[in-house]
Amino acid sequence: MRILLVEDDLPLANALQQSLQQEGFVVNHVNTGELALTALATPDQDLVILDLGLPGIDGIEVLKQIRNNKSQLPVLILTARDSIESKVQGLDYGADDYLAKPFDIQELIARLRVVERRLGTASSSLICIDKVKLDTSAHKVYITENNTDVEVHFSKKEFMVLKALMENAGRIQSREQIESKLYHWGEEVLSNAVEVHIHKLRKSLPNKFIQNVRGVGYIIDNTTA
Amino acid sequence: MSIRRYLVLTLFAVLTLITFIAAVQGYKVSMTRASTQFDEQLIDVAHTLITIQSLVPQESNKSRVGVKNIDQQGSFAFQLWLKGQLVLKSANAPLQNIVSTHSLSSSDTTIEQTHFSEVNFLGQRWRTLSLTNSIKEQQVIVAQPLQAQFVLAQDIILAAVKPMIIAIALLSVLIFIVITQGLKPLKKLTIELSNRKTNDFTPLQLTAKNSELEHVIATLNQLFSRLDAAFERERHFAADAAHELKTPLSVLKLNAHNVVQEVSEQLAQLNSEAESSKPKAFWLAQVKSFTSIEQLTSSVDRMGHVIDQILNLNRTNPEQMASASTAFNLNKLLQQVISELYAQIKKRKQNISLESDNVELVAHQLSIHLLMVNLISNANKYTPEGGEIKVRTEVTHQHADSEQISIIVEDSGQGIAPSEYHRVFDRFYRIGGDQHNSNVVGCGLGLAIVKHIADVHGALITLSSSETLKGLKVTVTFPVNAPKIIAMKNSAVLSTTKEDHS
Repeated sequence: MRILLVEDDLPLANALQQSLQQEGFVVNHVNTGELALTALATPDQDLVILDLGLPGIDGIEVLKQIRNNKSQLPVLILTARDSIESKVQGLDYGADDYLAKPFDIQELIARLRVVERRLGTASSSLICIDKVKLDTSAHKVYITENNTDVEVHFSKKEFMVLKALMENAGRIQSREQIESKLYHWGEEVLSNAVEVHIHKLRKSLPNKFIQNVRGVGYIIDNTTA
Repeated sequence: MSIRRYLVLTLFAVLTLITFIAAVQGYKVSMTRASTQFDEQLIDVAHTLITIQSLVPQESNKSRVGVKNIDQQGSFAFQLWLKGQLVLKSANAPLQNIVSTHSLSSSDTTIEQTHFSEVNFLGQRWRTLSLTNSIKEQQVIVAQPLQAQFVLAQDIILAAVKPMIIAIALLSVLIFIVITQGLKPLKKLTIELSNRKTNDFTPLQLTAKNSELEHVIATLNQLFSRLDAAFERERHFAADAAHELKTPLSVLKLNAHNVVQEVSEQLAQLNSEAESSKPKAFWLAQVKSFTSIEQLTSSVDRMGHVIDQILNLNRTNPEQMASASTAFNLNKLLQQVISELYAQIKKRKQNISLESDNVELVAHQLSIHLLMVNLISNANKYTPEGGEIKVRTEVTHQHADSEQISIIVEDSGQGIAPSEYHRVFDRFYRIGGDQHNSNVVGCGLGLAIVKHIADVHGALITLSSSETLKGLKVTVTFPVNAPKIIAMKNSAVLSTTKEDHS
């Protein structure tokens, strides 16, 4: 995946470039908003990592311009301003994700992988956690047992719940968050729909694969995998 | 008391008092003038009577017993005595001498004697004049009711006072209007100032025509702009410090990561020719476990934590918190905080649970978020691996019209000795001082921030020992009046919490 890194702090840009290249990403670096807009005029980028505090054209301004051009280019904001207000502002203007400095490189890579899979630029559309494999493009789920993959059949909604949890492995998904991925606006949601889907999923998946954090939501843990 | 009220009342009181004194004085003077006038009249009447009597003296002398009654319409009464005999009197005068006889002093050497006195007869008080001629043994007594004098004096004084009373009324209205008009700029200024939000430092948009207020407004505007600049500096300091400190910290973190990657790569390459060549993952784990690398990464984390907490303390100043209070769903906020901290909690294999209805709280959301992050991450740090953390909210009804919202965080850690309860809220205080378990990242600011935020919201923090988990129990109680909060019982949320761990 080709990434455009817009960051005015040179040491940070260099270190980040090195880390990301190690992970197999192609990184182009520019240090001003003007250069970023010039670089974005060509369709060479798959994703933008954008620092908000830029000299000249501000990061938010760059983001607005990208969205004004009706571009669906994924934008990940990276900033030292970590207050909720600027986070909300960034997401309002159409940023896909947000990381506050000092960020954890593993966290950044994990989020880049999610985008990569969504764009289909990933070398594989498979998400593997523990014994479970989820193919995001073929909409299929396999469980590895004795080195052989056995396909498990789930309904469309059940698959979407599992996908939401696996894509965000390690992060709790609240009932409301999962619901928002299942239903369109105005569609009637049964109050225990998510619970019913989870219950069905658990029957076929390994024990304790989907964990419940009481009162908060559900999580698939990827740290033990 | 407002200046306007004070001025109007004082002026009105002074005006009334002075007019009253003037009226009293006028009354006195009028009375004196009136009585002098009447006395002169009495003397004139007496002289007239004597003159008339002397013109017909013989007739009267002969008929001694006959008393001539003279009908007269005026307010006068008179008696004419000759050698001790009443010879002539007005119809309304009695037969007795009006003036007591002994007042007819014979010892007086003067021939003609005038004597004024006040006597009662016919159920009235009279002003009398007794004119005595000792040679002719004549006495003329003329009397006039005092009432007449008073009536006249009153008429005069009323005539004089009436316009004054009307004048007072008119003047009061005028004074009121003038003062209100005069104080209008001051009132405008007061309204403008009281309508201001605490964080509004824009200059006053008022133009005063009088020099005093012009000065006040100019000074106030100067003060506002200086305060604004000071607050702006403070706000910018926090934002600038965040940027300046966090970017190099990110560089440090990335480089630490890159060093580990590079060194392990190099090691893997160097050893690739060796007989028992190990994969890169092995060397990665090796390099990561170097003491110096471990300490480097943990120090970087610690520094990030300290910077965060100092900035948080800075960000949660009371002015900002008071100005940006909103109503929000406390349950959602707690879910969010737990989600954010879940990685840390999982790392220590702890079990966390949230028990909360959809409770709405009116507060500064960012600060409450921070408060909860600090409380839960404290529980996470000081609870041993595999421990238990419980977060719950409670709505209690004190009276019919007031409710309290409590957030309770309990853990199964060691807890805090009751003797330390009051000290843990001090800034930079850590239990055990420098012997504090250095494995735990912290700077002693966490609970100080919690206390600060709670104080600004008027919330109460209570530390106690958890009955169920045996660790520390922190209760933060927000005083909430009924109209401010809406506690919605949401059965859907309850069904989530009842979900089993299958």
